[in-house]
Amino acid sequence: MAFIPSRIKKHQTSAGQGKLNLNSMMDMFTIILLFLLKTYSTEGQLISPSQQLTLPKSNIEKPPEVGLDLIVSKRNIIVNNELVANLDDVRNNKSGVMENGIIQPLAERLRFYAQKAKKMEVDYGVKFSGKVTIQGDIDLQYSDIMKVMRTCGLSDHPNMRLVVYRKE
Amino acid sequence: MAYRPSFRRTVDGESSDPDLTPIMNLMVVLIPLLLSSSEFIKIGILELNLPPAAGPMTEELGKPKEKIRTLDLAVSIIDDGFMITSSLAVLQDKKGGEGPSIPNKEDGSYDFEGLSQRLLEIKELAEGKFPDSDSIVIQANPKINYQTLVYSMDAARSIRVNNRTKALFPQVSLSAGII
Repeated sequence: MAFIPSRIKKHQTSAGQGKLNLNSMMDMFTIILLFLLKTYSTEGQLISPSQQLTLPKSNIEKPPEVGLDLIVSKRNIIVNNELVANLDDVRNNKSGVMENGIIQPLAERLRFYAQKAKKMEVDYGVKFSGKVTIQGDIDLQYSDIMKVMRTCGLSDHPNMRLVVYRKE
Repeated sequence: MAYRPSFRRTVDGESSDPDLTPIMNLMVVLIPLLLSSSEFIKIGILELNLPPAAGPMTEELGKPKEKIRTLDLAVSIIDDGFMITSSLAVLQDKKGGEGPSIPNKEDGSYDFEGLSQRLLEIKELAEGKFPDSDSIVIQANPKINYQTLVYSMDAARSIRVNNRTKALFPQVSLSAGII
């Protein structure tokens, strides 16, 4: 004989049936949060690598420093996001671009920034150290880098640093 | 008429879950924020030292005194290997013949470990005997690749022996040679 369905239980709403269990999700979030907090550096990114190039890898430990931003990509030379010279002209020793082994437009640009920085030093006491960070593409040739560095050295920016990816 | 007994008196402390919604909100905001601001690729810088100014200037000015012997160690990256030179000698390859001090590996790639190893030997010999036993000059052929240069600088700067990093010649300078 079948039971008669209980009339009392008919109106009982069972508590906790349609509830979402968030425990595992909370665990996951906590772990992710801790991981991200651990990898988070308070310094932030001082140098943002350019999109147009691949930096070389190195096992150096030294963290980046701020300096004048000089990018030598596969095609162009860029200072502070301004196109300065074409690398093909530099390679072909085009007159007006290359003179006495110096990349003329780059030298002008660097001297302009050096002058501005020196003015800042007089006005506000920000020390000018002639720092320049060079982001060079992995496929550059030694002669290109040498030309750029020579120009930097002769244009009031003797403190050169090469930007690389750190291998862990 | 008597009141109906209160429900709260009988239903005591039902174990209810804490309300996780605010924490979830916090997580949802914090995780994208941290994800966007964390750097996964570490960036470093190689500090360059300009080659020491050479030339007769300083010697002419000073009184003739005992000349300080310097090491003047230099590594030249050429197409088929590394040449290690100093003021005293040119390092020859293992067979003692002409050619690069550290020839390329058989597959044509540069032998950076070999370079580090030879420089370690030189470092052990030269340590303390010369005033410039920390510095090295690297020069290269014009066509040498940038990455090769950076690897060579790494190889000259330090070596890993038994899982410890030993400094070789930390003051790396680049030399232009003659363009």
